[in-house]
Amino acid sequence: MNAKVHNDSHLSDIGRIDIEGLSIEFKSPDGGIVHALAKTDLVIEAGSFVSLIGPSGCGKSTLLNAVAGFVQAATGSIKLDGIEVNGINPDVGVVFQQYALFPWFSALGNVEFALKRFSLSKAERRDRAMAALKEVELEGRENMFPGQLSGGMRQRVALARTFVSEPKVYLMDEPFGALDAQTRIVMHDILLRVWEAHKATVLFVTHDVDEALILSDKAHIMSSGPGRIIETIEIDTERPRRVDAIDQDFITNRNRIIGLLRKPSE
Amino acid sequence: MFYHKRLIEFGQLTLSICGIIAVWWIVAGSGAISQDLFPTPALVFWAAVELYQDGVLISDLKVSMTRAGIGFSIGATLGILIGLLTARVSIISIALEPLLTLLRPIPAIALVPIAIVWFGIGEGSKYFVISYTVFLAVWLNTHSGAKQVAGTYIKASRSLGASRFREFFEVIIPASAPHIVVGLRLGAALAFLSLVAAELSGASAGIGFRLQDARQYIRTDRMFVGLIELGLLGAALDMVFVSISNRLVHWENA
Repeated sequence: MNAKVHNDSHLSDIGRIDIEGLSIEFKSPDGGIVHALAKTDLVIEAGSFVSLIGPSGCGKSTLLNAVAGFVQAATGSIKLDGIEVNGINPDVGVVFQQYALFPWFSALGNVEFALKRFSLSKAERRDRAMAALKEVELEGRENMFPGQLSGGMRQRVALARTFVSEPKVYLMDEPFGALDAQTRIVMHDILLRVWEAHKATVLFVTHDVDEALILSDKAHIMSSGPGRIIETIEIDTERPRRVDAIDQDFITNRNRIIGLLRKPSE
Repeated sequence: MFYHKRLIEFGQLTLSICGIIAVWWIVAGSGAISQDLFPTPALVFWAAVELYQDGVLISDLKVSMTRAGIGFSIGATLGILIGLLTARVSIISIALEPLLTLLRPIPAIALVPIAIVWFGIGEGSKYFVISYTVFLAVWLNTHSGAKQVAGTYIKASRSLGASRFREFFEVIIPASAPHIVVGLRLGAALAFLSLVAAELSGASAGIGFRLQDARQYIRTDRMFVGLIELGLLGAALDMVFVSISNRLVHWENA
């Protein structure tokens, strides 16, 4: 459709997330309170691709789960385009690390599941689901069940299931963590293509620095005890980016992030 | 390749059965035990022919299968429904779980006297005993299956905008299906156990009744016919169940 989108031109006006004074606590099994996320302010611009990087326990998944509406905030608020997020909301799509595809539905059935909340005719629903599968290069696999697909293909179905209903935001919790390096590169290309075509905001959790640098406009580096954002890095590298053609900026950012992650917390 | 494997399996089964019959024949024919107490395969075969000619072999089979079938259907339906409810609706769970936990250890046989008082010696008491046994097995498995539905499925379903109604039918039920199927298979086996328990007292037809009837005349050959019938029926039923359930929850063995 449009010419290739570069740099900031993908920023749109829907899908802005405003996080103000958000903190999250859990009860630990022994009755104490765990501060999973200390008071955090964060603005995620509409249409941007933002990564959260950090060691386990730094609250990156907790922050993502809060935006998804899976966990309650102890203090503060999360707003999506000015409207407070209260619980699970289909405007916010989630791609899970463990795929969370329904094994009893075919690839097509899984994608159609996301469309059933709209009053579409059966044919229309099917057509839209087929188009989504085509977008993630799974044409001809629509009748296969998740158990018959490889890890990369499963995650592509999960991605299609998420974007097919055009949510404003995609939340992705280490979605490619279980995939091998080559498959991951393919997935990155597919994800960026989908993101550019659908103009959504992406909040992406990872502990892979290169992945964050290839994908995002901005990376928030997090630390644990309590979980918090310690640094934000703007990634200005021109798109399209390639892992096999990295420039000096990339290396500088990479060194800086790894340096931050190395620093002992406390 | 697949066909070949089937053929080998069939060969092994045939060999095994022939072996068992041969050993049985040698032991029973050796004269060490009276053939009135432990009949040879030939005597059992002729007893079966005799029962067939009397017309009771087939009619007993029909009566027993009907009882087991009706009892199973009632028990399985209730077990699935109540199991889903006790697992997913907390009020119902609080109300019913303690009762069901207390009922669980009571064996079917112990229910026969009360069933006869409540429902008479007719079909009602048989249906009651069988469906009760089936119900418990199916309930227990459905309950634990529906309780363990992975949290990510629920989260995924809700963030994809599914209503609670759709979540129940398109997520909870299929996610519990592998457990439900195990419960049904167990329930089918238990239906046979409790069928015999119910028929041993106060029936005028059926495999269990025929066993009891044969005891009066010390017809061990006829008893063996009944026992073999139960074994064959149970095994056949189980095979049918396994093949249906493999198709029903195909994603489990993908």
